[in-house]
Amino acid sequence: MKAIEVREVVKIYGHSFRALNRVSLDVEEGSVHALLGPNGAGKTTLIRIITTQLNPNEGSVKVFGHDTVKDSSKVRKMIGYVPQEISLWSDLSGYENMLLYAKIYGIPKDVRNKKIEELMDFMELSEVAGKLVRDYSGGMVRRLEIAVALMTKPKILILDEPTIGLDPRARSLVWSKVSEFRKESGVTVFFATHYMDEADKYADSISLLNQGKLVAQGSPNDLKNLVGGDKVSIAFKEPVNKVSEVISAIPGVLAIDLRDNYLELTINDITTTLPIIIEKLYRNGFAIRELKVHEASLDEVFIKLTGRRISDEPGRIRDVVSMRRMIRRGG
Amino acid sequence: MDLLKSFSSLLAMAEMELRRLRHDPFEIITRAIQPILWIAVFGSIMARARAFPGIDDYTTFITPGVILQSSTFIALAYGIALIFERESGILKRLLASPLPRSHIVIGRAIAGGIRASTQYVVVLASAALVGARIVGNPVNIIMGYLVLVLTCMGFTGISMLMASLLKTRERFMGIIGAITMPLFFASNALYPIDVMPNVIRYASLINPLTYTISILRKLIISNSYDILQELLVLTAFTTAAMLASMKCLKKIIE
Repeated sequence: MKAIEVREVVKIYGHSFRALNRVSLDVEEGSVHALLGPNGAGKTTLIRIITTQLNPNEGSVKVFGHDTVKDSSKVRKMIGYVPQEISLWSDLSGYENMLLYAKIYGIPKDVRNKKIEELMDFMELSEVAGKLVRDYSGGMVRRLEIAVALMTKPKILILDEPTIGLDPRARSLVWSKVSEFRKESGVTVFFATHYMDEADKYADSISLLNQGKLVAQGSPNDLKNLVGGDKVSIAFKEPVNKVSEVISAIPGVLAIDLRDNYLELTINDITTTLPIIIEKLYRNGFAIRELKVHEASLDEVFIKLTGRRISDEPGRIRDVVSMRRMIRRGG
Repeated sequence: MDLLKSFSSLLAMAEMELRRLRHDPFEIITRAIQPILWIAVFGSIMARARAFPGIDDYTTFITPGVILQSSTFIALAYGIALIFERESGILKRLLASPLPRSHIVIGRAIAGGIRASTQYVVVLASAALVGARIVGNPVNIIMGYLVLVLTCMGFTGISMLMASLLKTRERFMGIIGAITMPLFFASNALYPIDVMPNVIRYASLINPLTYTISILRKLIISNSYDILQELLVLTAFTTAAMLASMKCLKKIIE
């Protein structure tokens, strides 16, 4: 079954600004799907349509077979959603936030406390449960928000920029918790991000979005093959002739370019193919002087397809500042 | 069972408000300064002037008016919380949750009503201290409190409606500033209706404050339970405010 089916969705803001222009995509049940694109690509708009906050002007979205416009209340029962902005009351403690959301969501009294305790423990927040959210770090805020989203046992977890403005350690902790929960529960995860490394590392499939249009879709490896996969350059101690014969037989080697003692290879899935190449070269007595690896990145894919970069540093700094401001100002 | 569940999710909103007040009671304290001045300074000076021949105890007379003025201000300002939550993700999350949208409005109105009605205790206590003669029967006092919560829920509804339509803090504060004082003056808070010029008298008749103040005067000053008529008007007002607010809530996140 498809967890999400987006069909030809158009969203127009004001009179003419097309935030989404005929976007179609599928998310398989149980998979992790990333919506990757630069700021302003339309990621949040699509998420808000999927979560029934906005209605599309054209096209349709179904979540586990239910239409987000006609069956919106059924859709809302199935999703756990964390918006990009902080969605907690920062003048209350972490525990109080969990308690209030549990009550608002109508979680029965007899299981409420146990569930809150379990989830806070799982998210490594037990020690700060009594502290005001205002005093939490960005990573703690995000983990608590995800814990709140998990309380209703959703079939799909929808995260809008879950790690925006976090430092690398906090980011990887957030992701390890999401991955761990997914392994236990099999929940489908759909997330928007402009961090290409996150999409690459955590997603089974990726939709690349640019200026309201879908530019490509596929697994991280599929997408990277669009720019010719990973590259390895090897310099030998002396000119080599027969090296091509040895290497061309290795599966995963896509292209070979040899000039004197320089060899350039294009290969698929560098982590498993490269060790085999090195072993073969060593066994056949080719002496390597230098070896350089160039892994294909989703950024290159994006540049090739659109002519722009996904992320730029100034944007990130702005994100950090605004995230901090949001936390300070409070929910 | 579902009804019970609904009810508890409504109460959770009110609980949220009380918990916030417990963590930070600063607002209750600062908000109390103005009504205390109205009672203690304005009230006792006017009492000496004997401006209104029919009223012999002016401090007692304005006590309900000052309660309403103070709590209505808080209720009308409550929508700002929604604007903050609009900028944060709380409203988005609530709107994407299984909670029915009507519950968000009703729950927040109860929350706003409770926050606003904290002034009841403050003003009554300070009025009693400066010699206002208030009916001591707890039944009357509690009934008065419930009527006040009902009124404040209506004004909170109006406030959320404004917040949904205006969306920014600046515009919201501008409008709220513009309507609160006229609302106060075009009511029977400070003077009896029969001394008003005609225009203001008519305005006061469509002003919900007039009816609440009238009920409070009957309950906590003259010990009368003849309040049914006013109560119907107030119920109609609060219901209408909530319905309008529910209808427009979704606009706030667009």
